[in-house]
Amino acid sequence: MTSQTFFFIFIPILAIILLALNLILAPHNPYQEKDSAFECGFHSFLGQNRSEFSISFFIFALLFLLFDLEILLVYPYIVSAYVNGIFGLIIMLLFFLVLTLGFAFELGKNALSIESRQVHYIK
Amino acid sequence: MNTLISVAESLSVIIPILLVVAFTTVAERKTMASMQRRLGPNTVGYYGLLQAFADALKLLLKECVSPTQSNLVLFFLGPIITLVFSLLGYAVIPFGPGLTVGDLPLGILYLLAVSSLSTYGSLRSTAQLISYELILSSAILLVVMFTGSLNLSISVEAQRVITFFVPLLPVFIIFFIGAIAETNRAPFDLAEAESELVSGFMTEHSAAIFVFFFLAEYASIVLICIFTCILFLSGYNSIFVF
Repeated sequence: MTSQTFFFIFIPILAIILLALNLILAPHNPYQEKDSAFECGFHSFLGQNRSEFSISFFIFALLFLLFDLEILLVYPYIVSAYVNGIFGLIIMLLFFLVLTLGFAFELGKNALSIESRQVHYIK
Repeated sequence: MNTLISVAESLSVIIPILLVVAFTTVAERKTMASMQRRLGPNTVGYYGLLQAFADALKLLLKECVSPTQSNLVLFFLGPIITLVFSLLGYAVIPFGPGLTVGDLPLGILYLLAVSSLSTYGSLRSTAQLISYELILSSAILLVVMFTGSLNLSISVEAQRVITFFVPLLPVFIIFFIGAIAETNRAPFDLAEAESELVSGFMTEHSAAIFVFFFLAEYASIVLICIFTCILFLSGYNSIFVF
């Protein structure tokens, strides 16, 4: 086998060996206080551990996907920039311009702001 | 015979990586301590150098508490994935001309793919990671435009005339800031928040799982530093080596 193959096989095996060492050699004395979630000063209730998934994270990931794919599409021009010259640069700049117009639209709709969940008490 | 050579080759990369990660933790603790006018760990070995191995031994013998309300599969799988992908990025690092574990012609793309898979801690840290991943990719794009290839050995060899630190200093600064954000170091450490929350997303993970997160974090820090050196400071041909 080549060294890449051994490298890719060895690292998960290393992780599993460390985990197995820990699960074999460690004591295991669970009781209810130890196993509950980490809170300061009160017991956590059974239904309140999971909070909702805020939609702004999904929008972030969606926009990241789009712009990461844009950068990925620019990579073939980058490695052949010397051959393509100014013509290729102008085509690439037109591509960027279209996507930048889309980004300007999205900034106008305030898509990248995360609302704070902090509750303001008015005295 | 070929298998033995390839086993020796990849072990001679993996074992020094793990040693580097271990000693980086001690180095960081002693440096932070001397910034705060105190000594760091100084009991374990000579000047506290064996502290990392004592920590690892202690953590491996500690009880692994899995909370009752957690998904057990995800609880154990997350840190394993983090560690595996942090260490997999070292497969394309050149130690000499073409002297890597795997000489991929698309080495930079492989590094970007692997390094973004290795830091999915919590939702907040993921959002931070993907935000700065774009900046990192754009800065790398500019460097690749100079070399004309995505291969990391060629990127080092292309710096024989002048290292890219000199013409591309602003790009280096942008890349450096993006690299600090990608590895969740201060001032971008909202995922861990060492002075506010207890330990961020690593709070509930206790023994071997914590070792995985710890190793993964420092391994990705060292990997990003090596990557910066290869792209901007001419990796193995560096003026700092001799």
